Amino acid sequence: MLLLILKRVLTAFATVLAVIVLSGILIHLVPGDPVTAMMAQSVTATPEVMAAMRARLGLDLPVWQQVALYTGHVLQGDLGMTIRGNEPVARLLLQRLPNTFALAVSGLGVALALGIPLGFLAAIKRGRLADTIVMVIAVLGVSVPAFWLGLILIQLFALKLGWLPVAGSGWRNILLPALTLGLTYCALVARMTRSALIEVLSEDYIRTARARGLKEHRVLLVHALRPALISIVTVVGLVFAYLLGGQVIIENVFSWNGIGRLAVQAMLERDYPMIQGFIVVFATSVVVVSMLIDILYGFLDPRMRQR
Amino acid sequence: MTVLSQTVPRRPRVSPTVLLGLGLATIIVLASLLAPMLAPFDPLRMAAGPRLAAPSLAHLFGTDEFGRDLFSRVLAGGRLSLGIGISAVVSGLLVGGVVGLAAAFGGRLTEAVLLRVIDVLYSFPDTLIALALVAFLGPGIENATLAIAISLVPFYARVTYGLAAAERSKPYIEAARLAGIRSGRLVRVHVMPNIGQSLVVMATLGFSSAILSAAGLSFLGLGVQPPSPEWGAILASGRNYITKAPWILIFPGLAICLTVLSFNLIGDSLRDLADPRRKARS
Amino acid sequence: MTSSIKSRLALMAAATAIGLAAGFSAVTAADLTVARSVDADSLDAQKASTTQSLQITNLIFDTMLTMDKSGSVQPGLASEWSMSPDGKTYRFTIRDGLKCHDGSSFDAAAAKASLDRALSPETNNPNLSAWGPITGSKVDGKALTVSLSEPYGPFASFLTSIQAAFLCPSSFASAEFKPIGTGPFKFVSWTRNDSIQLAANPDYKNANPLIENPGKPHIDKLTFKVIPEAVARMAALRSGEADLVEPSLEEATDLKNDSNFKVYAAELSGQQMLAAFTWKIKPLDNPEIRKAIGMAMNRDAYASIAFEGLVNTANCPVAPNLFSTDEALCASWGVKYDPEGAKAIMEKAGYTKDKPLKVKLLVHKLPGWDQMHQIMQQDLAAINVEAEIETREVAAFFDYMKGVNEKTDGEPAVWTMGMSGVDPDYLTFLWKRPGFVNMGLNAEVDTMLDEQRKLSGEPRAAKIHEIEKYLMENAYAVPLLSPGWGWLMASNAKVEGFKMGFMVSLLFNDVTVSK
Repeated sequence: MLLLILKRVLTAFATVLAVIVLSGILIHLVPGDPVTAMMAQSVTATPEVMAAMRARLGLDLPVWQQVALYTGHVLQGDLGMTIRGNEPVARLLLQRLPNTFALAVSGLGVALALGIPLGFLAAIKRGRLADTIVMVIAVLGVSVPAFWLGLILIQLFALKLGWLPVAGSGWRNILLPALTLGLTYCALVARMTRSALIEVLSEDYIRTARARGLKEHRVLLVHALRPALISIVTVVGLVFAYLLGGQVIIENVFSWNGIGRLAVQAMLERDYPMIQGFIVVFATSVVVVSMLIDILYGFLDPRMRQR
Repeated sequence: MTVLSQTVPRRPRVSPTVLLGLGLATIIVLASLLAPMLAPFDPLRMAAGPRLAAPSLAHLFGTDEFGRDLFSRVLAGGRLSLGIGISAVVSGLLVGGVVGLAAAFGGRLTEAVLLRVIDVLYSFPDTLIALALVAFLGPGIENATLAIAISLVPFYARVTYGLAAAERSKPYIEAARLAGIRSGRLVRVHVMPNIGQSLVVMATLGFSSAILSAAGLSFLGLGVQPPSPEWGAILASGRNYITKAPWILIFPGLAICLTVLSFNLIGDSLRDLADPRRKARS
Repeated sequence: MTSSIKSRLALMAAATAIGLAAGFSAVTAADLTVARSVDADSLDAQKASTTQSLQITNLIFDTMLTMDKSGSVQPGLASEWSMSPDGKTYRFTIRDGLKCHDGSSFDAAAAKASLDRALSPETNNPNLSAWGPITGSKVDGKALTVSLSEPYGPFASFLTSIQAAFLCPSSFASAEFKPIGTGPFKFVSWTRNDSIQLAANPDYKNANPLIENPGKPHIDKLTFKVIPEAVARMAALRSGEADLVEPSLEEATDLKNDSNFKVYAAELSGQQMLAAFTWKIKPLDNPEIRKAIGMAMNRDAYASIAFEGLVNTANCPVAPNLFSTDEALCASWGVKYDPEGAKAIMEKAGYTKDKPLKVKLLVHKLPGWDQMHQIMQQDLAAINVEAEIETREVAAFFDYMKGVNEKTDGEPAVWTMGMSGVDPDYLTFLWKRPGFVNMGLNAEVDTMLDEQRKLSGEPRAAKIHEIEKYLMENAYAVPLLSPGWGWLMASNAKVEGFKMGFMVSLLFNDVTVSK
């Protein structure tokens, strides 16, 4: 078990490192000299500031050394300064990170609360009308652009009915964006629940349990659902990553003050250090969450525990 | 990760959902191809009708804030969206395919390194990869297409690798190797024809995600720029009219949904067909 | 329940009833939340140039002088002021007992420190040229004496504008700037692109003639939120999340007719929108081509469609209602909407449908403007000019234009901008070399601009007309609309007393929020 944790932590670290290097390389995609490109966007670009920036980025060095330099800075927790406002990138991102997580977790909560029962229903009514309906909903769910759904929910709940606010960071403000994310990603959860449960239901011990004359709801709830839920845990990490990705747009639709909105703002302003910082922080969040879920799975699944 | 081990069986049973998907896709593709003939107005022409007119016989989907005919714009947008989707999928599939094959047949070290990189990239949502790339490349239709293509590479590389690795273990490959045939030739002559069909199936799955990414990028103002009638761009410029003229939002949104839905339906069924083991399970 | 509380409740109920009957309700101190589409770029009033920044700094800082509705100059931080007969020396007597937000006192020495910083090259003050030809200043008891190298007519009116804030020296005493002023609101916190928090200044003594409340603002806390999405802003207004918002232009007309809401339009905006050219780059160095592009622009459509009829076309390179602005006169100098004529000019110059002139249309994002640029793009296409729109955020745009306007080759660009002020002297700010974002023109214009500063009254008006005529006949500027940004606000009906001042400054001193 300890070995498993160690292995997961090391892999996670290697992945984050790879992402940092990649985001260091990305800046070289910008046509021309990065400092000129960056500073074309800044009013405070005195020659001294530009020289300092050049030295920091090591622009006289070969590209690989520049990337190494950037990686070094990031590993020390220094993501650089924003071009607009000259504030530390790391501080701005960390300020917003709790908001982003709050929304992601609420969205995931809605997705699980809707998706697991739907998937369960589809699995036990397999091949029948209820199954088909659930599966059609599932395909529809992954086909609707989340930002479009968001706009429609705003129109309905905020503008027409005036029930729920948008834009802000209170608990009532989180409801609409969380609902949007939840509705979009519950489809994924429903599908995964369905196939996990179907797999479990075909196992021998379920047949044995049924043969022993146990009540069907007992078989389903006690013997089938629990192991199925354990395998759902493995995919929660994946759903979470995709949800975080979709959330970048949703935060902008709802003017939700998370790192996604900060990032898109930076993208429109071409604030490159901010964008790089966002990539690093976002990737780290995804990697850490999936690492934790892997480890959690290790604890839940007896087969894994013995290893 | 789905590992595909079989090619498409000869006689697939066609389910109603595939028929629905195929029907929708055919209508959408035809409508987009014939857009210039079907569209009653030039999609860029302002004051083609009154401003913000509700749907009517003259303007089937209504008009937008400039009096442009929305029906014509949504049709023209289909050409753009499908065009972006196809270019991105083809180039993503080519690059991803080469990377996947290289991982499968390039020796142990190459395999280990490439696989690691692919897996890292694959763990990030493709929309996000596209977003990050566009941030550095700059907005515009070409850059958006390029970014979406790159964002699909990890997916296609992973799928190709899975197929090729399964093929690699087959006896005839071993025999060919022993006969002294080089890897390059082996892949070209023996592996490609065998996995090609399955790859085409996988391509449809990337297609719907490419369309969604393109719409998302344009909606944020980072993809196709106005006045181009790309669906996401129409939604972006029409969003403030949500109360006054909801049709500006409803029709392009539905167009995205139906397109993505149709390709998802086709892709899902084809995936089941291509992977009988999976089919048996579900 | 004790009887005293009971009777108090009864009294309150009675008071409420009376209030309602009289059409008023009980007014209490309250918090106010404002939602805008764009955040401030800086809270350092001597480094900020965007309207969105100055709207905030103007609440934290005061100006030396103020202006009343009729445009005449009134006391501000200075209780009285005088100009020497030769027009080269000004003397400002600083009001007694002025307190900075940190408790320090604001006196003539503080005013001098602030002035010195505003003029220092190290400050990089974007409004430096507007301060005029100041050669020095000295403290003389309670007074600050400012010397100029030559007469500068617009000096007093500039000192009333939101660009001419006076800071408390503690603001810039340390390396990190802290917004500390004497204004009606104290700075509390700023989270960039999210919110700015201000609190009422309990010691405030008002001098601004546009404001009635003599002392501390009625509201205690003032929060500015950034909500870029117009739809989300409207939702915030309707749900009560925000009390006062920049409404979406699309819905402003509907709000006006809804008794639950109030719509405010600034009458004193001093705003003017222009189209300009990279005239150093061929073929835009040719005035005929620039004129043709101007002739293609359908300004009526921009006003009625892009801005939903909420703004007017404006003919001069300076805003209507400012000193000397004469719309009819300007109309006789400027190009007239004539797409056919424009097309003929372009075709004569060799630009046909198959071989169009390719230009960039460099613009920044703002409500209404985005739509205007789309119509403009179509207007240009009609005269064989293929314009590619490139949109940036407001602050990033002006930084970018600085580089673009320096270039003498490359792809030609048409660009749009807005400028606001309280005096037509902002022509100097824009067009005198190097000019705002390097848009300065030539020696001839520089000379005329310098001359108008030394004049006053009728002769000055004549000189300004001469400059406007030059700009328009050579088509360096194509005046478009007025006003154009941030001039509209909407609140729920509970908000009373909100006003908008010059240059769409926001005045909250008189605001009350009824329960």
